[in-house]
Amino acid sequence: MVDKIKVENLSCYYNKKCVLGSLSISVIQNEILAIIGPANSGKTTFLRTLNRMNDLNLTYSHRGEIYLDNNSIFDMNRENLRKRVGMLFAMPTPLPMTIYENVVYAPKHLGLISKKFEQDVLVEQALRDASLWNEVKDRLKSSAMKISGGQQQRLCIARILAINPEVILFDEPCSGLDPISTTKVEELMIELKRKYTIVLVTNNVKQASRVSDRTAFFLMGKIIEIDTTDKLFVSPKEKQTEDYITGRFG
Amino acid sequence: MGKIVDTVVEKIVFLCGILSVIFVILIFGFLFIESFAFFKNFGILKFIFGRYWCPNSEPVLFGIFSLLMGSFFVTLGACLIAVPVGVMTALYISEVVNKSVRDILKFLVELMAAIPSVVIGFIGMIILVPCVRKLFNIPTGLTAFSGSVMLAFMAMPTIVTISEDAIRSVPWQYREGALALGATKWQTVRRIVLKTARPAIIAAIMLGIGRVIGETMTVMMITGNSSRIPHSIFEPVRTMTAVIAAEMGETVNGSMHYRALFSIGLMLFLITFTINFVADLFLGKNKNK
Repeated sequence: MVDKIKVENLSCYYNKKCVLGSLSISVIQNEILAIIGPANSGKTTFLRTLNRMNDLNLTYSHRGEIYLDNNSIFDMNRENLRKRVGMLFAMPTPLPMTIYENVVYAPKHLGLISKKFEQDVLVEQALRDASLWNEVKDRLKSSAMKISGGQQQRLCIARILAINPEVILFDEPCSGLDPISTTKVEELMIELKRKYTIVLVTNNVKQASRVSDRTAFFLMGKIIEIDTTDKLFVSPKEKQTEDYITGRFG
Repeated sequence: MGKIVDTVVEKIVFLCGILSVIFVILIFGFLFIESFAFFKNFGILKFIFGRYWCPNSEPVLFGIFSLLMGSFFVTLGACLIAVPVGVMTALYISEVVNKSVRDILKFLVELMAAIPSVVIGFIGMIILVPCVRKLFNIPTGLTAFSGSVMLAFMAMPTIVTISEDAIRSVPWQYREGALALGATKWQTVRRIVLKTARPAIIAAIMLGIGRVIGETMTVMMITGNSSRIPHSIFEPVRTMTAVIAAEMGETVNGSMHYRALFSIGLMLFLITFTINFVADLFLGKNKNK
């Protein structure tokens, strides 16, 4: 049980307004940590702080520390951090190019690969790992904008896998997908946990119970409860948690 | 009653809408008729490739090759200056500065478009032309280069405004997607943002060029008005627009000279029409994506 990510006393602010208050939490290597909670509970803010995507927002500021393998992420080069901590967004975000180019885009420009056959191998491997290969292998050269939403989302996963990160952040990855695509992405997450550490933010409580090892419940910028998913869903310690997972509010 | 008002309003709107179409067709028709009479008399190849424009000599010569080259040199120079500066200005405004500075900059750039061309020509004549003469140590500062510099200022607002809109309309998700993969801001701008916005940026450049080619007053004031074929950008030139503006007043209605000027107008019209058409193609391509 190694702590992959360790968050200490993290507080986040937009325009000086606190949206996340002194949060301390760890993510264990090769687990899926699910974060659930109603809207405005700070889940996405937390996730976007982990790979410093929030740095783009000029009104954002934070206090506290986050360690990735015992190194502070705020001391790291932002680009290097994002290579190690990949992120999947709620809406599929394929880049406006072909499927093939989408996958090789990052590794090529990060200088990880250069030769053509290396690219071919990488594309096939990444698409297979994202269980998309069989569906798109005959049309790698067609635009990524033309495949379905569920396929686009898996393409985005393949794109992340291609740069071989250590942690993958999923930000409500299935909110725009149909049930079948959702099942595929969930199966994929469980598959991926063998190699990667996963943090999953989700609005779907059932999804958290299906795929995660541990679950944290956020409410109004505070962490109310964190425990193994089995315990949290069967016998939550806090009343608020119980109310939320049984659907009484939120 | 309401129905009658509706019909009347509908007719009026239709009339206004069709008016511009009618005007374009009429102007084109008029230009074409006058030019055709001239081409039949003088010969179209002799007109385009003739080296000398001497409407008062004997026999008269109406070769516009030197004028074509003049327009070409001035336009090329203006593009070389306005395109990189304009696109980079657009990038700076849309990607680098914060909202309040962006609004001020956009306002100022758009204000540039409001400067009358005669004022730009005037400033060029007083300030730029002597500078060019001293700086490059040439006999006169009234050169194609001077015209290019001032025209670049006139093309910039178009290029900046349209490019900036295009850059900012690139979906935010593309940037986030690329940034989340570890791309730097500059890589994201270059490989994703500029690539996506490219058709619209090209359209912006084309529209800017269209403005430069058609511009008359500024070039007439500062390019020297010498209808010889220029060998470099640092020589005086005469553009097609300047010839029309300068000589139309002196010609006899219906004479050969008069028709020759109309033929130049037709050439200009065809060139700008082509450019606008290509720009439209690019803009349309952008929308369909």
